[in-house]
Amino acid sequence: MRSGAELAVVEMAAGVVLAGAVLALWRKDLRALISLLGLQGAALATLAAALCVHDRDIGLGVVAGVVLLAKGLAIPGLLARVVRADPGSRETAPLVNVPASLVAAAVLVVLSYLVADPLTAVFPDPLTRLAPLGLATVLVGLFVLVTRRKAVSQIVGLLLVDNGVALVAFLLTAGVPLLVELGASLDVLLVVVVLQVLATTMRARFGHVDLDQLRELHD
Amino acid sequence: MTATLAPVATAGLGLPARAGLSLLQVAAVAVGGPLLVGLMGKIRARAEGRVGPPVTQVLLDLRKLLGKEAVRAEHTSAVAALAPLVLAASAALAAAIAPLVVTRPVMAAGADVFVVVYLLLMGSVALALGGLDAGTAFGGMGSSRAMTIGAISEPALLVGVLALAVQARTSNLPGIVAASLAHPGWLASPQRLLALGALVVVVIAETGRIPVDNPSTHLELTMVHEAMILECSGSDLALVSLGEAMRLGLLLGLVANLFFPWGVDASGSGLAVLIGLGALGAKTAAIATLIALVEVSTAKLRLFRVPELLAGGFVLAVVAVTTGLVTR
Amino acid sequence: MSEAAYLAGLVAAGAGALLGAALPARHRVPGAALASAVACLAALLGAGQVLASGRPFALRLAEVLPLTGAELSLDPLGALFVAATAVVGLAVSCYSVGYGAHAPAGRATTATLPAFLATVLLVPAAASVATFMVAWELMALTSLLALLADHRRRAEARDAAQWYAAMTHAGAAAILLGLVLLAAHAGGQGFTEIAAHRGRLSSPIASVVFVLTLLGFASKAGAVPLHVWLPRAHPEAPSPVSALMSGAMVNLGVYGILLVGEDLLGGGPLWWWLLVAALGVSSAFFGALHAAASTDAKRLLAYSTVDNVGLVLLGVGSAGALAAGGERAVAGLVLLAALFHLLNHSLFKGCLFLGAGAVQHAAGTRDLDRLGGLARRMPATAVLFGIGALAISALPGLNGFASEWLLLEGLLHGFASRSAVTEAALLAGVATLAITGGLTATAFVKALGVGFLGQPRTEGAREAKEVPPSMLAGMALLAAGCVALGVAPGVVLPGLERAVSSGLAGGAPRAARPGLGLALASWRGAVQPALVVSGLLAGIVLAWGALRLAPRPAELRRPRHAEAWGCGRESQTARMEITATSFSEPLQRVFADVLRPDHDLEVTHAAESRYFPEAISFHQRVDDAIERVVYRPVISAVARWGRVARRVPNGSVHRYLAFGFAALVLVLVVLA
Repeated sequence: MRSGAELAVVEMAAGVVLAGAVLALWRKDLRALISLLGLQGAALATLAAALCVHDRDIGLGVVAGVVLLAKGLAIPGLLARVVRADPGSRETAPLVNVPASLVAAAVLVVLSYLVADPLTAVFPDPLTRLAPLGLATVLVGLFVLVTRRKAVSQIVGLLLVDNGVALVAFLLTAGVPLLVELGASLDVLLVVVVLQVLATTMRARFGHVDLDQLRELHD
Repeated sequence: MTATLAPVATAGLGLPARAGLSLLQVAAVAVGGPLLVGLMGKIRARAEGRVGPPVTQVLLDLRKLLGKEAVRAEHTSAVAALAPLVLAASAALAAAIAPLVVTRPVMAAGADVFVVVYLLLMGSVALALGGLDAGTAFGGMGSSRAMTIGAISEPALLVGVLALAVQARTSNLPGIVAASLAHPGWLASPQRLLALGALVVVVIAETGRIPVDNPSTHLELTMVHEAMILECSGSDLALVSLGEAMRLGLLLGLVANLFFPWGVDASGSGLAVLIGLGALGAKTAAIATLIALVEVSTAKLRLFRVPELLAGGFVLAVVAVTTGLVTR
Repeated sequence: MSEAAYLAGLVAAGAGALLGAALPARHRVPGAALASAVACLAALLGAGQVLASGRPFALRLAEVLPLTGAELSLDPLGALFVAATAVVGLAVSCYSVGYGAHAPAGRATTATLPAFLATVLLVPAAASVATFMVAWELMALTSLLALLADHRRRAEARDAAQWYAAMTHAGAAAILLGLVLLAAHAGGQGFTEIAAHRGRLSSPIASVVFVLTLLGFASKAGAVPLHVWLPRAHPEAPSPVSALMSGAMVNLGVYGILLVGEDLLGGGPLWWWLLVAALGVSSAFFGALHAAASTDAKRLLAYSTVDNVGLVLLGVGSAGALAAGGERAVAGLVLLAALFHLLNHSLFKGCLFLGAGAVQHAAGTRDLDRLGGLARRMPATAVLFGIGALAISALPGLNGFASEWLLLEGLLHGFASRSAVTEAALLAGVATLAITGGLTATAFVKALGVGFLGQPRTEGAREAKEVPPSMLAGMALLAAGCVALGVAPGVVLPGLERAVSSGLAGGAPRAARPGLGLALASWRGAVQPALVVSGLLAGIVLAWGALRLAPRPAELRRPRHAEAWGCGRESQTARMEITATSFSEPLQRVFADVLRPDHDLEVTHAAESRYFPEAISFHQRVDDAIERVVYRPVISAVARWGRVARRVPNGSVHRYLAFGFAALVLVLVVLA
């Protein structure tokens, strides 16, 4: 039903999105995290473009363009500005150390394969079968969100979750309605802008963006 | 993408011809490995703005060392004499059976990827025991570090290899190469890309390159591999250096042929063997260049951050296997 | 014929126990050893015939057990376990002659070893619930007595025996409960009757039976988290007993799981076997990690037993899971690998424990931090221990590699099963095999390199002498087995295949092609260890020859010996050598989350200034984290209840009689 070349592109793009999420656990340098997000955005846009070519659906082409602009360029660009204001910033002390997080990520990937198995058994479509990769991206993103301290890394975690959701949406519906994807991307863009403002204010007030130390405000 | 067992051309080669091709592979790795080490040194030097020693420097060093006597530490046992021999012999055997120049050298049916992995382990164990034999502080420290790094790189190695073997439905090396040649689409599959990432991390760790170990360090406390062979000299050192260079050549050659199997010769005719040799040289030189360029721009990791790197390799390998399972 | 040989073996082992108890001190040990050796040879003959022909035998000895009579039968699966026991037993009998000559043993100690051997030979042949439980409890009792041989001299032995007694009896209670439940529902206690009626068993009952017996058998096999007795008991037992425990007794835990799960219950659902595989994964990882961190040679070996039993359980669990999914061919391959690994483990672990015993015998300690340089003082022991250590590290050409390769192939080809859960288990299995492989190599490089190479660290190690020939012969027998099965693994495969098809409910197709090497029957994959070994030897000889022919003056051809490099220091002493503790330090730091080592650093400052330390003492212990987290709270809770309960009996006879009366009334009320 689907031709080989486009399917291969979709598979590769889905693999790159998941690999990007896993590498985000590996790298501590915030700039590297942001370029990984850009990579994921580009992979998602490529995926949408491949689906557009295959389904001859102009709407998907527009989605691909929007995804590239929002996830590939705008969001990483905004985050890069936050980081640039605070040079040399690294995720110094995550709550779970890096090797343990990576092993946990391996477990999460296998878990999402297990969880999605009944679904893919019901819909044995070549695209549906890739859904575990998106689910794994979501889980790894949530893991980043839970275990990282810096505000920027947490935003990265949120964006990883968002990219994973977008991947699952692309794979399951074979083309999200244009409006939905536009809305979702803009939502996330809004969140990022808000968080950027928040982070800037925090740095101005407290001199750092370490969320764990916010507990002092409560105490 | 399910694999069908690709037919492997036996081309009617007799045992003597295949044994000859195996010897050719051993010779290619024994000359090519040191040249690759020299090439990496040269590229690093150039990138740092130095002229650097010639590419053939390692080979010249080997010739010089072979002409010198071996001085062994007091209190050593037969292990000190055996360790360099076992290291070199295990690397040579692995080079003889792996599909480097031709797809089916001698013992092709038994040329299993796990055999190669465990032959490399044999060399590492021999070196580590040799490091402990002199009973010095540095030798033991080097052995301890080398075995630790080896132990934690094993999961990334075996699971990365598993990703390839599950795709090809065999762990037979000629079988994997033949299957990759028969399915050009595999080259661009995500599981291959991820497994490549995992195995490159392992190759860097196993061959002691930056950021895991600095092969050109002169400070005993930061050494891993060099500390282990501190008591080797003369012809012993020549064998160890040759064995290590052969392991590098073998690993790069395997990575090259498993992931980019272009030019590996299946027929065994004279011209094809030459093309195979040329392709092997070109591919390994390209990978070596990339590794050297990465080395220039990275700092050596602290020993206790090496697990992060290897855990990264492991998770890439797990993602590779999982991706392979969902895309088959 | 096979039953006669087997029975003769049992009788000879029993006679060995009697001889050990009855003979005068001078002849006691040789007499018992000779009888045990005859027993092992006879049992090996009987089991070998069953394995070679594939024909089981069945016997009924009405007079032996009251009420039920003893029922014995030996199928190829049981015969494999008897054969493994017999080989280890033969080596141990030989070894015990020299070992016993060193320290004159008492009657009880000498008699328990053959008795223990007899019970281990008996368990796999038990064919009814009553016979099985009697044999099982006899094995527990005799092994406990054997473990207690040194209890007068060492408090650790008493402590270990307490742990062992508690764990083994709790386990036996669980097994008894499970088997009685099974017999009650099947309407008979003979294993053939139970197996014939398994179709009528409801699945919740079957699951309860399986889980109960699994608890007992897994604790005997030393599976994490039921392993805590093993790293205490195996090191504290005399070395021949340790070898029999690690090389033969723990196997029977695996036998029990296969017996109940496959033979009696006929397979069962997927989750049973995933549970077994999960036990295997946790045991293998935890055991290998602790082995790599241990500094006591026998404790290292004991944890390595936990590791290897874990690998076998991983294989058994994966085989069961694949069989539950209908993949019989690959299930047979995985089970073949698991049983082969079990046999190999008996050989190399037996050899290693005997080697550790020889070291303890010669140097007076088994603490690796106090050994060193033994290779020059006891070269034969060093070579034999080395063969065992390299075999367990799975180096090609030795038997550990052959079975690990088969296991890897089995896990790899199981990926065609298309059951997501099974695939996840197989992936976990490969990752476990990989990490344990690396950790095991590290542990045994440490044992070999720190214990036997370098300079001696203490006077005891410096004065060590080679052990008597009988001890060496015992080790050499097992080491020869490691080499033989490593070079030509194909010779035992037919027997193993018969064991697999009687062990897997419903049988399994042939997994390997006949031949000296290993070649898979239904998949593409083979190794020829004989060729690998000859290639390696050729390579070594060629490289050595090339060095001799290298162009250099004649006086430079022979290696010279000189002082080692010590960063400019004048002389090297043994105190500068790396110790086993420091060797494993990097791994301990990497896996600190799992190992949780205790550090204790004390610095005494000089009186003049606190910048000049006078003495620094550093202590480090790696305790079993599972013991600390899981068992200690339970033990202290039990102790608390015990203290509370102690108030109840106050010495008054009336109160005790009242308890009995109240209990009687309660029973009557319940019955009414």
